[in-house]
Amino acid sequence: MPLLTVKNLRTQFSTERGTVRAVDGVSFTLEEGEVMGLVGESGSGKSITALSIMRLIKEPPGKIMADELTFDGVDLLSLSPAQLRDYRTRHIAMIFQDPMRSLNPVLTIGRQITETLRRHLRLSGGDARRRAIELLELVGIPRAEKRLDEYPHQFSGGMRQRVMIAIALSCNPRLLIADEATTALDVTIQAQIIDLVRRLRADLGTAVIWISHDLGLVAGLCDRVSVMYAGRIVESGPVRDVFYRPAHGYTLGLMNCTPRVDDIGHRLKPIDGMPPNLAEPMPLCPFLPRCEKAVEACSVKRPLLETVANGHMAACHADLSDHWRKDKVA
Amino acid sequence: MWSYLSKRIIQMPLVLVVVSITIFLIIRLTPGDPIQIMLGMQTSPEAVAALRAEFRLDEPWHMQYIYWVGDLLQGDFGRSIRLNAPVLQLLAERLPVSLALALSAMLFAVVVSIPLGLLAALKRNTWIDYLATGYTLFGFAVPNFALAMILIYVFSITLGWFPITGIGSGASTGQGLWGAIQPYVLPAVALGTLQTAIFTRLLRSSMIDVLNQDYMRTAQAKGLQPLVILLVHALKNAMIPFVTMLAIQFGYLIGIQVTIEHIFAIPGMGSAILSAVVNRDFPVIQGFVLVIATFFMLANILADILYGIIDPRIRY
Amino acid sequence: MATQDASSPAATPATYESGTRMALRQLLRNRAAAIGLFGVLLIVLLAIFAPWIIPYDPTAIALSSKLQPPSFAHWLGTDHFGRDVLARMAYGARVSLTVGLSTVAFAALFGVPIGLLAGYVGGQLDNVLMRLMDAFLTFPPLLLGVAIVGLLGADLTTVTLALGIVQIPVLARVVRSSTLVVREETYITATRALGAGAWRLVSQHILRNILSPLVVQITIVFSAAIVAEASLSFLGLGVQPPTPSWGRDLSEARRFMVDAPWLFMAPTGFIIVSVMAINFMGDSLRDALDPRSWVRRAAPTKETADAPADR
Repeated sequence: MPLLTVKNLRTQFSTERGTVRAVDGVSFTLEEGEVMGLVGESGSGKSITALSIMRLIKEPPGKIMADELTFDGVDLLSLSPAQLRDYRTRHIAMIFQDPMRSLNPVLTIGRQITETLRRHLRLSGGDARRRAIELLELVGIPRAEKRLDEYPHQFSGGMRQRVMIAIALSCNPRLLIADEATTALDVTIQAQIIDLVRRLRADLGTAVIWISHDLGLVAGLCDRVSVMYAGRIVESGPVRDVFYRPAHGYTLGLMNCTPRVDDIGHRLKPIDGMPPNLAEPMPLCPFLPRCEKAVEACSVKRPLLETVANGHMAACHADLSDHWRKDKVA
Repeated sequence: MWSYLSKRIIQMPLVLVVVSITIFLIIRLTPGDPIQIMLGMQTSPEAVAALRAEFRLDEPWHMQYIYWVGDLLQGDFGRSIRLNAPVLQLLAERLPVSLALALSAMLFAVVVSIPLGLLAALKRNTWIDYLATGYTLFGFAVPNFALAMILIYVFSITLGWFPITGIGSGASTGQGLWGAIQPYVLPAVALGTLQTAIFTRLLRSSMIDVLNQDYMRTAQAKGLQPLVILLVHALKNAMIPFVTMLAIQFGYLIGIQVTIEHIFAIPGMGSAILSAVVNRDFPVIQGFVLVIATFFMLANILADILYGIIDPRIRY
Repeated sequence: MATQDASSPAATPATYESGTRMALRQLLRNRAAAIGLFGVLLIVLLAIFAPWIIPYDPTAIALSSKLQPPSFAHWLGTDHFGRDVLARMAYGARVSLTVGLSTVAFAALFGVPIGLLAGYVGGQLDNVLMRLMDAFLTFPPLLLGVAIVGLLGADLTTVTLALGIVQIPVLARVVRSSTLVVREETYITATRALGAGAWRLVSQHILRNILSPLVVQITIVFSAAIVAEASLSFLGLGVQPPTPSWGRDLSEARRFMVDAPWLFMAPTGFIIVSVMAINFMGDSLRDALDPRSWVRRAAPTKETADAPADR
């Protein structure tokens, strides 16, 4: 049984301009210890997918629907608020995008770490503090003992993100959702965090959903990757397959606008146009207006996710095999 | 923080000098002789001159100011011309009354605004939110003396629940503790309604602001109990502007009581200034205005100190 | 994030002219603004056309018809001299509006240049001017009014002077802070580089940009002045009898609260309604003039907590 099963997840917001389908039929499964990347430009529904799994969408105006949304066999959508609270951070933890604003400015770092330990693991004050120091050392914050009594504004952005990560890891969750967790950090610290996530997965078998628009990072860290566009997964599969043999016009576009170390002289090509308005109905492929590889079928019907190769799926009518990296295909 | 505070405290005497010179100028450069007013027109010019000399009113105004400040530095506020009593003694009688009234108005404002403001923020666009908004609009629009009239008509004249006067006169209709509180109720409500409106609006908006912050989502993602999220994570942030405003408004309340004191016949500082102005009782006007301005400034400094204490981000 | 995307078309920057039109449309759409405007207009019209609307002299004593409750002949009843209360309210509105307007004019006459000077020149001058303004702000406004009016004698000029002095620092501060902001903005630097004179700079760029906070602050000053005038008159320090004034009539009505409660209800009602109407207008003006509020129309409530605590 997979650790997390998401089947036809739809998250909508009712606004003055009509219903915005932020997530529109996302399905995937995640095994214990598996690391899945979720990529796509901002507004594609990555964060909303993550927040929906955490059930952190405000309802109303939001609404989460799914054919199945189970964690370790438990239906997340039918949990009572109290049961839900027992899952959050204890079993499913999330690292948020903005480290500058995700910590409470008037509470000490220590308080913000220990409160999860005391709440979920029922640790005493002293034990919680000792564990908090361990956690801060784990994420690479020096002089942890002293810094525990400091406030968020005394930490740099990178340090704050490490604190957020320490909080997320505090109860050894079985699923960690990291939403642009390292975007605010410089490259060396990024590498340390990635290393930390790898170790966690090896030592504790933590499954990870790694949301990022940094394809290189996802390629280095993840087993599988799902590409989202306009609220849907348009392509998913093993990292190598998706990146070296993209089967969707959008993935190809993403690859073309990402710099590659191994391909000096490669011309970067931005994707023209804007993502579609999610409040409007989309009978055709939502990427069609921006797609350079569109074929006749594209103007007839919306492509469905279909298997391209073993474990590799894409929702695209076009044949992109000309663009595959032959040198990298095993 | 200490360097900032000491700077503020050093500035205080300077501001007080400006305030006192201004009030001194207004008083001395306007027509009206307190001695004439007190003694009447029939008194002999000699008697008037003698009294004028006694109160140093025959000196030029800047000399009067220097004498006044010199006495002040020795703790002498001068004597009331009309009452022939030390201003300090008058202050000792009036200040506690004004403080008690300001405190009771403050108490009313806090007790009403905290639940009203918080509930309005938590339950937006429900009846409690509309009630809070309506009360706020009313509170900002109704002058305290007009509200006092309404309250007197409803609760004293029609219902007979509260006395119209009573503070400082012992003429209360009730017994014991209630008897002591009763005369303060209507003046406190009338005086404190504007503050209630200010606090309610402030608390509502700061709470709404806090609830929309990213760190509230973090708190939820931690699986904390709702009460912990509300009391620890939200309230501690929302209270920062509130507590600061509390101190500032307390300073204001001492200076805006004059109409309320007038209606309810309360022997406070405002009514003392009013009668001193009418009678040109210069030492009383000077001394009282100075004390009220000092309180106002202290309240502002207190607000800064409180701000520094409750908000860890502030380091002066 | 998806919702942001959906609303982004509304956030496209508008040109200056269509910005003005947008503000107007916003103002008209707002129901509170409409109510406020209606209320203010009603009182203004009543004040202006009082002699033609109301067939009574507000000062004509008719003891035979004293203390009459509201009736068809006297809509709001009569007072202890038999004077028509509605007539007194209408003529009292003249006093209130005159004091309100002249106070605003007086405060703006000094407050705006002081704020501009402090904000634009900056440095020591700014420091000195603002410390002076701070000192003035430590006066309890009403007490200063009591002192000035009480000592100088009560007439419209001294009342205006007393109330206006208190408001000078309020306006100066608003103007200064907006001037500071505008001065820092790059287009001012750009104009300077183009060789525009300092005067043109101040008058065109800064004045245009401080206009909206200034207009909003002026409505606050206006309603504060009306309340302060009523307070002074209530204490017997404002305009002198027999000139009708809401505050003084309210004070007189205290003696007849049991027998003739309509006497205190009329001025109370007029004061509350006019202040509320002006406040409504001010709030809506602030919303309408704030381009950020055009985007987030979903939350029409006022989230700003600037309390006009100067009463």
